[in-house]
Amino acid sequence: MSATPAVIEVEPTRGQHLWQSGPAAWNQALTRPQVLIPFFTVAAAAPLVLRYLEDNSSWIGAQFWTTILANCAMYACLAISLNLVVGYAGLLNLGFIAFFGIGSYAYALVASDQLNQHYPLWAALLVVILVTLAFALLVGVPALRLRGDYLAIVTLGFGLIMRDLILDLDRPPTLAGHQFGPSTLNLTGGTNGIHQVDPFKLPTALPLIGPVPHYLMYYWLFVGFLAVLVFCMLRWRQSRTGRAWVAIREDELAARAMGVNTFKYRLLAFTISAVMAGIVGMIDGAFIFNAFPGNFDVQQTVTVFIMVILGGLGSIPGAILGAIAFTVPPFLLQQFVFIKYLIISIVLIAVMVFRPEGLLGTVSIRPRRVMGGTLDLFSADAEAEASTGRPATLGQAADLEAAAGAIVQAPEPKP
Amino acid sequence: MEYFLQNFPQQLVNGLETGSLYALIALGYTLIYGILEMLNFAHGDVFMIGGFLAAGVTAVLVHGGVASIPGALIVILMMTVAMGGTGLLGVGIERVAYRPLRNANRLAPLITAIGVSLFLESAVQVWISPAPVLVPNNAIVPQTVVRLGSVETPLTGVMLFAVSVALMVALDAFVFRTRFGSAMRATAQDREAATFMGIDVDRVIMVTFFVASALAGMGGVLFGLRFATVNFFMGYLLGIKAFTAAVIGGIGNLRGAMLGGLLLGVLESLAGGFISTEFQDAFAFLALIIVLLIRPQGLFGQPLADRA
Repeated sequence: MSATPAVIEVEPTRGQHLWQSGPAAWNQALTRPQVLIPFFTVAAAAPLVLRYLEDNSSWIGAQFWTTILANCAMYACLAISLNLVVGYAGLLNLGFIAFFGIGSYAYALVASDQLNQHYPLWAALLVVILVTLAFALLVGVPALRLRGDYLAIVTLGFGLIMRDLILDLDRPPTLAGHQFGPSTLNLTGGTNGIHQVDPFKLPTALPLIGPVPHYLMYYWLFVGFLAVLVFCMLRWRQSRTGRAWVAIREDELAARAMGVNTFKYRLLAFTISAVMAGIVGMIDGAFIFNAFPGNFDVQQTVTVFIMVILGGLGSIPGAILGAIAFTVPPFLLQQFVFIKYLIISIVLIAVMVFRPEGLLGTVSIRPRRVMGGTLDLFSADAEAEASTGRPATLGQAADLEAAAGAIVQAPEPKP
Repeated sequence: MEYFLQNFPQQLVNGLETGSLYALIALGYTLIYGILEMLNFAHGDVFMIGGFLAAGVTAVLVHGGVASIPGALIVILMMTVAMGGTGLLGVGIERVAYRPLRNANRLAPLITAIGVSLFLESAVQVWISPAPVLVPNNAIVPQTVVRLGSVETPLTGVMLFAVSVALMVALDAFVFRTRFGSAMRATAQDREAATFMGIDVDRVIMVTFFVASALAGMGGVLFGLRFATVNFFMGYLLGIKAFTAAVIGGIGNLRGAMLGGLLLGVLESLAGGFISTEFQDAFAFLALIIVLLIRPQGLFGQPLADRA
């Protein structure tokens, strides 16, 4: 099965090269399996090349660079998860990084000496998924009934509450003079975080490759998870659910008029994205052996946001690109660390003002030329499909009609 | 119960103090939201800049805890500098970051606003001070404690409350009694129709940003005087709380924002005093969620039609 089924190919028109054809076409070109499969193969092989170089020259840096790559892959996973909720469904989830933290802490609690629990991997994964899902529903069910701006503020508040909870739950909570739990209860370790979290029980050597160090194994885990996420995202984009998300993002009222259950699809996007972030948090917790509150403060949310925005809302290759662009410099330039957020914020504003769709974005959030006009509702996606696209074959047209019909006729029992 | 009765008046006064600060900043949120339907995340950081401008004035005029000119003059100077500075800052932010995106998808200005907020925070952190900056209030205002029965509060606290209320009354008069205020209200109702009536919408928006930011700047001065310290991160939580207050009162509704601010301050102070100090912030957001679920237009807001 190819990664991009039933895509209407945007063929460059005669005399027009790919680089002239605009971000939507670049995005489609970069999400073909012919590009993605080699990309992930190269990504997986890169640390081996680095190690070979280290073994055969005086250069020392294989571990350093593999760790940087692992961080890139982790941020790419987060950026793609965020892209699902912001880029696909158009929900501004500002508490996103909290779910990453919840995943980390949930894993740390069941796989460390904090509570003397050492669950096997599958059980820990189940716990992480259930816990993040529970929190996502707790926030999502009330918040997603609200209009867009309120969602942003409620999720932002949620992120702050989670941070407070994690900092304060190193002692039993006390409400109105009543103490809940024994005095020795220490769930989160407060500002110290939870240390000595178990790594996953993974083989330390592989046939043909030889001994595999910790950082390399986790690099592969992140890359593997990234590949899974990319595959899922591309499949979803073309599915009925993905079309419903895009419809809601473009015009919620129109989507509702077409019979899309907006609450259901928004909640779906919100929870899936949260669980994905939770799993990334779990892998990260096992990778760095601890869960630390500083790893998911509010500025981290903005960091992941800028990765998505720079790469382009709704664009998968863009999210990966953005993750690389904002992960590598802080590692290389120590001076950069102090002014990191200054640079990030300036880039964020500049991108939004001068190129709001990002480098490879398919979502047009440019200002409309006519005040109050509804003529510009097409996203760049739709424009590319409608104008530059070769006439679709009959089979593709039938597919499209079926997909459109499926949304239009989606049964929605009304009380 | 006895404990409750003994401490209730003091908590109420504390709550009114913080509440008036929330209200002052909530007014800015509600003004800007009312006119642009845009959540200005950077507003809390404008408040922070106001505090730093005030601290800057004291750094110039107060040396070694001794003021070089009379205290009252310094206070007036602080207020002028902070309000003027933040007002211009607000206008600048609107011009650079929001105006190019005025007719864009709603997501775009929200994201830019987060960028502006982070920019102001990190700019102060990098270029001014990552540590809290002291405001030597004991050299400027008398440190008398006002007593009323069992309740006591510093003079600066009373000042915070009094100045906030005075500004709120003034703003209310400006919006509801003057010609420019009616232009603002017209723009808030329907920007397009307002342009047809000959209102210069760009100018209205600029003035709105100036007024809203100046109020936040004044909030920063009062905060600095009351708590004697400002830091680069203080606008973050306070801004979110103030927005919460604006939403509770009904966003876009000026009087709602004032009452919402006072209400939130009192609620938070009571919850902090009698239930749990650690989870004080959580209660504020819980209140927000409950209000939004039961009465999405806020306590004093008009029901909103779902706009496409």
